[in-house]
Amino acid sequence: MKVRINPDKCIACTTCVVNCPVSRVTPKFLGPRMIGPAYERFRLLGLAEDESLTYCANCKNCDITCPQGVHVSSINMLARAEQSKKYGASLRDWVLAHGELQAKMLQMIPAGLKNWGMLNPVTRHVLDKLGIDKRAPLPAFAKKTFRQMFKKINQPDLPRKIIYFPGCYIDVYDPQTGLDMVWAFNRAGYQVISPDAFCCCGLPMIANGFWEDARKRAKRNLTELAKWRNEGVPAVTGCPSCALIFREDLPEYFPDLVEKLGMHQLEDAQDFLLQCAERGELALREAAGLEPMEVIYHAPCHLRAQGDGLPGYKLLQALDGVKVTEANAGCCGISGSYGFKKEKYDIAQEIGSELFRKVRESKAEVAASECGTCRVQIQHGSGKKAIHPVAILRARLEPGNRQEGQTG
Amino acid sequence: MLETTVVVIGGGATGMGTLRDLSMRGVPAILLEQGGIAHGTSSRFHGLLHSGARYVVNDPASARECIEENMILRRIGKQCVEETEGFFVLTPKDDPKFVDAWEKGCKEAGIDAREISVKDALRLEPNLAPDIVRCFRVPDSCVDGFRLVLHNRMSAERHGGKALHYHEVTEILKRNGKVYGVRVLDRMHNKTIEIRCRYIINAAGSWSGLIAAMAGLEASITPDRGTLVAFNHRFTSRVINRLHPSSDGDIFVPHGSITILGTTSVPTDRPDDTRATYAEVVKLLELGEPLFPQVHDYRILRAFAGTRPLYTPGGASGRKATRNFQVVDHAADGLDGMVSIFGGKLTTYRLMAEKVCDDVCKRLGVGTTCRTADEPMCPAPDPAILEQATKYFPTHALNLMADRLGDDLEPVLQKAKIDAEKAAIATGTQVCDFSGNPLLCECEMVSLAEIETVARDPGVYSLTDIRLRTRLGMGTCQGAFCSVRTVGSLVEHGINLEFSPTDSVCRFMQERWKGARPALWGQQAREMEFGRAIYAGLLNLDGAMHEQDN
Repeated sequence: MKVRINPDKCIACTTCVVNCPVSRVTPKFLGPRMIGPAYERFRLLGLAEDESLTYCANCKNCDITCPQGVHVSSINMLARAEQSKKYGASLRDWVLAHGELQAKMLQMIPAGLKNWGMLNPVTRHVLDKLGIDKRAPLPAFAKKTFRQMFKKINQPDLPRKIIYFPGCYIDVYDPQTGLDMVWAFNRAGYQVISPDAFCCCGLPMIANGFWEDARKRAKRNLTELAKWRNEGVPAVTGCPSCALIFREDLPEYFPDLVEKLGMHQLEDAQDFLLQCAERGELALREAAGLEPMEVIYHAPCHLRAQGDGLPGYKLLQALDGVKVTEANAGCCGISGSYGFKKEKYDIAQEIGSELFRKVRESKAEVAASECGTCRVQIQHGSGKKAIHPVAILRARLEPGNRQEGQTG
Repeated sequence: MLETTVVVIGGGATGMGTLRDLSMRGVPAILLEQGGIAHGTSSRFHGLLHSGARYVVNDPASARECIEENMILRRIGKQCVEETEGFFVLTPKDDPKFVDAWEKGCKEAGIDAREISVKDALRLEPNLAPDIVRCFRVPDSCVDGFRLVLHNRMSAERHGGKALHYHEVTEILKRNGKVYGVRVLDRMHNKTIEIRCRYIINAAGSWSGLIAAMAGLEASITPDRGTLVAFNHRFTSRVINRLHPSSDGDIFVPHGSITILGTTSVPTDRPDDTRATYAEVVKLLELGEPLFPQVHDYRILRAFAGTRPLYTPGGASGRKATRNFQVVDHAADGLDGMVSIFGGKLTTYRLMAEKVCDDVCKRLGVGTTCRTADEPMCPAPDPAILEQATKYFPTHALNLMADRLGDDLEPVLQKAKIDAEKAAIATGTQVCDFSGNPLLCECEMVSLAEIETVARDPGVYSLTDIRLRTRLGMGTCQGAFCSVRTVGSLVEHGINLEFSPTDSVCRFMQERWKGARPALWGQQAREMEFGRAIYAGLLNLDGAMHEQDN
């Protein structure tokens, strides 16, 4: 199945160029319009790919701002897939695209040893040679994965069920946030099901050009979701990028799969919880004796790309003792694995610099964001801790039971 | 007053090919063209380099000439020709009985036409209608008319020929039944000059009847207007023809980054009748639908028209008139020293030039033979030089540019190199990014260095002249961004065009608008409205013009 992109919609207004975080900081990227729809005309002419295609971060700010509805980032990702089909991909890109697989392979090794093995200076030097910048904030493996921990939770027996898609970041690096999510849904009256069949949403594979691998994942996830759709069970994820993939990318990239298996909307977990609160199913009464808390919130690009507002931010606003301000400083620069790459590390830091400054200068003690790698980047760039809004929710409503695990 | 041996009238492919031919034979010659590069029909066609398969049934002699010239042009004009191949496609609406006669004709003309399965055809061209019945591969190709004329001129100049653009012939000077020169209006300097010569070659295409009349001769030239539609992107990689007797709207040609659909055929009394109408565009789209069912959804950049110089001594007209050409020595009509070349088509321009030059050279007693089929027009760009240039040019824009620039390539690369080094010294950085040489036209990837070098050519007077040589403003945005950027850069670098910067932009945009008007809907209407907002609103171009007038 070949997806065909038609470059006719673009009217060359360059709104995307003005809003592209990458072209703002480096001339190495010719800009979304040039590399997207404008270059597409030359791809059709048979011209070889322009090198600057690799500098698109797939942050989707072009798609957000395009007044004509051109999916610029999709054009870029399809072109990138075509490139890696023709010329193969680098080992570095394979490593960054398949974090899920590596985590699985390393499952039997204790986290301490894994982290020592991965994050010691010698390994980092080797990775640096491979193209993963030694300064990049690679997240550390959690002691146990979310899946392992989830199986051991005794959830109350609740009549209403909900499907939770954790996403790789929660599963491998930040299981505590996953547990907080389960806790929140239980509190709202939902018993959480997180099927073992779920795998990576495919985004890192798409961004690094591994189209067939992404397709396999899509098929598996959609098959599992279809089962629950037929039973009428809603599905949520706390990760904006996973949500976006299901909502925007899969129907565009793999229309045949979506046609065959149907689409079970993966809803934003924060939005779902907010609605529960509005219906009175989820009490947002904070625990007694807590000090007021200040939080600075960063809206991930992939959340804004969905055009559904900022439910995580609203959820924090709904807490009486939390004073939350929106950073409103654009992209953090990381874009999944983009900012880990050696040739892009400095670009990513430069993109995020305004956000880092705001976070640093804010009186807030923590930063909040739904996206795992955004949190890694914020923490790295600002020095302030960054956590998921639902982790804050739990910390405010039931502080005692929350383990201080890794929060990435 | 100038003096030469031969004056060639008409700067299209035929005229420029004639100038090249004469110059290569060592005959001093001056070419006169009333407009810019490929002002007439040589830029107003679909860009198809015929294999001849189109003519095998009706006009087998033309067909044979086509296939021979097609193969020659691939050799001598590598940078002008894209060897795409073509399909002849039988749709359910076409008469299947025509195929036998057509196949037989191809065989007799020596055109390699091979049937492929519909499945294979659809695999190669997935946008074709799935209900097509049969498909044949033929050696059709695509040719860039602007570039063909320019490269002929460059080759002619290298051999000592001289081409004067914006020079309009106003009088044929003759005495005692023999021509001795022409009187010419230099339009850009508004002065009249005289050129003395022994021979005049009338290669003015659709204007050749008027030139003959100017000399007091009669010629049956019937300009025949053909309208074409240019689409924003390439939805076919091959020339696609309907397999039926030649008719309107039955050829699609991929042309660089765009696709062209043509044509119509309407007799007209004026060679410069190049208006395209809304009704014609709608008709062409309807006619194109059996080949490409989604043709209505593809965005149209513009519509344009050209006039075929049909030679109709017997009274036949339109599609029935021969596409063959005729060299007419007017000595038989009582005027010595004037030869006209009537009719013909772009694919056979070189042959037409050869024939007319043979005739003139015989009369002049020049014994050298034609070499235009042996020597490439422009030498292939040196890969080593291109490799070096990747430091200051985006790689792929560079390859496109190398093909279109011909002899101008080296000065452009020199310029870009010097600019990049200057920029590097000024900013203390390495010569590695392209900030010293930005793309002023992104739709067609034309960089500052290219535009600046071309603009400094003394024969370049306007943004349109720059466009004809670089493709500036010919892409998606149709000049909305590149015209203001270009004019700004030219002012900054102290390069003056014929008109003031505001006037230059205004004329350029008007000319782009002319083409967009007959097909102004959908995204292209939005595009134009956006351009209007930039120029009429943001830049207040009308107001600026008004202020200038006062």
